[in-house]
Amino acid sequence: MPSMIETRSVVVEYPTVKGVLRLYDQGVSLKLEQGDFLAVLGGSGWGKSTLVNVILGLEKPIHGSVCFLDHDVTRESFVKRCNLVKTAAVFQRPTALPQMTVSQNLHLALSLAGVPRKERDERIKEALAFFGLDKIERSYPDGLSAGQRRRIDLARALAVKPELLVIDEPTGDLDGSATNLLIPLLRGLNRNQGTTIFMTTALPRQASQAKHQVHLRPPLYLTPENRMIGD
Amino acid sequence: MEKPSWTPIVLSGALPREATDLLAILVMGIVALEASLAATGPTVFSSRLWLSLLVVPPTCALASVSTTTRRTREELALFAYGGSGWQILLRYFIRGAIIALVAFSPVLLQGFLMTTSILELVATAFVLLFAGGLFYSLPSLRRIRSSSFVENYKS
Repeated sequence: MPSMIETRSVVVEYPTVKGVLRLYDQGVSLKLEQGDFLAVLGGSGWGKSTLVNVILGLEKPIHGSVCFLDHDVTRESFVKRCNLVKTAAVFQRPTALPQMTVSQNLHLALSLAGVPRKERDERIKEALAFFGLDKIERSYPDGLSAGQRRRIDLARALAVKPELLVIDEPTGDLDGSATNLLIPLLRGLNRNQGTTIFMTTALPRQASQAKHQVHLRPPLYLTPENRMIGD
Repeated sequence: MEKPSWTPIVLSGALPREATDLLAILVMGIVALEASLAATGPTVFSSRLWLSLLVVPPTCALASVSTTTRRTREELALFAYGGSGWQILLRYFIRGAIIALVAFSPVLLQGFLMTTSILELVATAFVLLFAGGLFYSLPSLRRIRSSSFVENYKS
């Protein structure tokens, strides 16, 4: 059976004032099988969010490839990847649409995911209740706290019932109680519903809750001199 | 120590040098040109209308870039929800076309009542819608395609 996701020797580079910032110097190669729960652990600026973007097709690697179900999707968009594996993403920054209420945001996400209209209300009600958002379902995201907006994103992603949940530092803006709730929730989703989870975190304790862990290495700065040596 | 001065603040930003400044100058310039030609220029309806249409691209572009921060948030959300680039562009294209249509509806109505050539009026309306939509959606295309766009997903 093909891996749900496979990255092969992925390397990303960014030009900076100090030289070229090279992430994953040795290349990231990982496999995510159906039903896996993988945590990518690394420090700030080591490329955790970039790896999320590479997997979702929002950034392209300078070397290496990304495969979804054995299809090379390195140059394909997020939408095309979603056609292969139903994917929901939760980013570090809250992404709810500011001109829509909490409930309308979820409706839009579900309609884009192709969830039948009659199912949407039930799923939204469940997701909002689960994340304690039911009392603010008619509020607009801009009037809410960062933690509440993060929970909207989580509710939106989980209401879609994705095959693959990609989640970047899930407890970033959450308070202690919500954090304590979230990791067991992800484990439950993975165990009970078979949702494959790709999570990044800077916290070893959180990463240890996943079935597998990948440790990133610090990035390198390539100046013209050491690039020539490296090449 | 020198006495603190207020002049650097004023001088560092007094001259118009941003894209939005240029667009505003263009809009006002076209309106001013039209006003001056109204007295001395040709009085044929269609020629005056075509001159008015020149105001559509800079005005729509100005409207589109004036709320970049909010729009970027919208675009990030729509991508995160599974939307695609062309869907987002179509969204803005339609919005720009509606803006241009509503703004020019008095002129189009006047043209409908006065003109003998319905074909010319339809062509004018088409150009109006296309220009409005195109110039409203172009800034979004530039944002979405920029390498810094996805950096907004990161903290």
